[in-house]
Amino acid sequence: MRIRFNRVSGAAAGAVVIAVLALAVIQTTGQATRTPRTSDGKPNLNGIWQVTNTANWDLLAHTVRPAVAQPGVYPNHPVLAAPVVALGAAGLVPPGPGVVEGNEIPYKPEAAALKRDNAEHWLDRDPEVRCYMPGIPRAMYMPYPFQITQGTNKIQMVFAFANASRTIYLGGAPDPPADKWMGHSVGRWEGNTLVVDVTDLNDRTWLSRSGDFHSDALHLVERFTPMTPDALRYEVTVEDPNVFTRPWKMSMVLYRQLEDNALLMDYRCIELVEETFLGHLRKNQLVKRWEGDTIVLDVTRRTPPGDKRYER
Amino acid sequence: MNGDTSPRPHDVEVLEMRTKRQPLTFLGALAAAVTIAVALEGVIVANQASGQSGTRPRTAAQAPPSRPTAPTPAVRTTAKTPRTPWGAPDLQGVWNTNTLVPLERPREFGARAFMTQEEHAKALADLQQRNQRPGRDSRTVGGKPAVGTEKDVARAYNEFWFGDKPTKLSMRTSMITDPEDGRIPPYTPEATKRIADKREFLAALLQGTSGGRPGPISPRRAERSPDYNLDRINRSDNTEDRGGPERCFGSELPVTMGTGTFGGVMQLVQAPDSVSIYYDVGQGSGFAWVIPITNRPHLPKNIQLYRGDAIGRWEGDTLVVDVTNFSDESDFRGSRENLHLIQRFRRVDANTLSVEFTAEDPTTWTRPWTAAQELEKADEKTTLVLEGGCHEGNYGLLGMMLNTRAAEKAFAEGKGPDPATQDNATGGGAEN
Repeated sequence: MRIRFNRVSGAAAGAVVIAVLALAVIQTTGQATRTPRTSDGKPNLNGIWQVTNTANWDLLAHTVRPAVAQPGVYPNHPVLAAPVVALGAAGLVPPGPGVVEGNEIPYKPEAAALKRDNAEHWLDRDPEVRCYMPGIPRAMYMPYPFQITQGTNKIQMVFAFANASRTIYLGGAPDPPADKWMGHSVGRWEGNTLVVDVTDLNDRTWLSRSGDFHSDALHLVERFTPMTPDALRYEVTVEDPNVFTRPWKMSMVLYRQLEDNALLMDYRCIELVEETFLGHLRKNQLVKRWEGDTIVLDVTRRTPPGDKRYER
Repeated sequence: MNGDTSPRPHDVEVLEMRTKRQPLTFLGALAAAVTIAVALEGVIVANQASGQSGTRPRTAAQAPPSRPTAPTPAVRTTAKTPRTPWGAPDLQGVWNTNTLVPLERPREFGARAFMTQEEHAKALADLQQRNQRPGRDSRTVGGKPAVGTEKDVARAYNEFWFGDKPTKLSMRTSMITDPEDGRIPPYTPEATKRIADKREFLAALLQGTSGGRPGPISPRRAERSPDYNLDRINRSDNTEDRGGPERCFGSELPVTMGTGTFGGVMQLVQAPDSVSIYYDVGQGSGFAWVIPITNRPHLPKNIQLYRGDAIGRWEGDTLVVDVTNFSDESDFRGSRENLHLIQRFRRVDANTLSVEFTAEDPTTWTRPWTAAQELEKADEKTTLVLEGGCHEGNYGLLGMMLNTRAAEKAFAEGKGPDPATQDNATGGGAEN
């Protein structure tokens, strides 16, 4: 589109310049409005949030790869394996630049071996596959939303996945009686940053689909810092002397869902994973062949006429 | 769709960021946008200047919320109702009750919502007497010790697990306040048939067992349940045969809190645009329930959710939550996907939260009905709210399936009874 620059548009442009300048002044002087605040002056974290990264698949930098792999023709070029082979591009791990500072997780040698083993047996071991509560920090970066309700002495976070939730106590907390899947969180404000100390986590949760794990000695320090009204910097320091040689840190961004119809809907997977884990115990099995609780998959997919790769 | 036109700082900022990215060729649009942005900033500055900034509470409309915007609560000052810093009635806290009120009114009270002092004294004495009974520790069958019988196994929990008993008894004769007789209204003919059909199916599965009517093994054992089964039925062909609690479906709405050890605890956290409840109820079948404060319409009818689609709004000092879009997998006393629930939460005083529900389903009840419960504020330091974790530790479902397959195998090998002749549903059946 081309605009003829005549006197009228010149005047309009002049007015706009003035308006923009005025706006800039409002912005710089009214800095307080940049960070939405609650009535008691704290950064307002209320809303539905979600990461856009690929940390749940792999915390470190990674390229695209099959979610379940088998060796291909060339070393280091695996191909899709049976459980997901029919999924094609929907069965791949999305690539990502990683969320770990220094791109290294300092596993102790024996823990590093277990991590690698876990990664190989991901589908059999990952608690996510079983629809278990994801634990902290993983709940914060699963590829599903969660909702923050910022109360006066507690912040409640409810996660779509498995209806998991956590309470961050701000004004005094009860003593936790036992380790929990979602741990025990005590928070405080340091300026604009919500700092949360997380303890009392059990050793059943993982940190990613790549086999990253921890023990029940896990201790987290999380930091939530508003970057813009719709983005929070999320940093978490991970400390677990049973598994790691030193504390390490992840950093990522949580984005606010801005859709008019944004809504936290339960990712209700409990009954939907029954077939995976109890299907072999049906009187009349739906999967054609189980050997014990091992699914023997004959991946037979006949593509109907008209739906073949080059017919669509 | 969004009736609230009041300016929000949040919107202004989005607008600002967009205007900065406009190429100069869109001068007209830019000028308009900037004008609006400046105007909106002006409104905010004016609001702040008029005394709503600083330490004074802001209304919900000014607290930058997630979208859609929360309607502003009509703020009425009631001296005894604690308020949040933003001026809404403060519903927050950990709430439970140790005061027994039956849901339905015993018929002896007729239309009377309250007992007399004498009636109360007698009922309380009866309650205390009941609390002394050995309950499930009385493991005898026909006067003999019941060890090793179906009854003994089915009643896995002895009285120890039932711990604290309710110590207080309300003067109220029922939680149900409407209809006047304090009782759930009659089922519609449609629901009556539905329930009878299911009962008949349950009875057929028990036929010929110790807990069922006499007769041969019913051919109906091969049938699918007439409804999506959530009950404890005498069959374990599929996981779908086991009840909702055994599959860890979690407690359902509406929750009425019980008394005693398993009575449950409810934690409520509140913000201007949402209320987040955690119901720690039902032996690990607790759940998180987020109520958005919004004026959006309900989800499309075909979207069915186990705990429905909740929409909250303030009516004076009462949080009113309208819940629709339930699922055929959720069951509130015979009402499934057609349940319409209206919940009302109101802070009565510093130590009391009134929780009321109206349940409506023209396919189930002949009229809507309403029940109310008053919850007591618990000491947050000592009253623990624990995560459910039912599914994560659900070895019971695996055990039912494994054991049934093993029993079938043993029967086929002539080493045990036909599992179809065993009662695994009624807790020991005739032995009771």
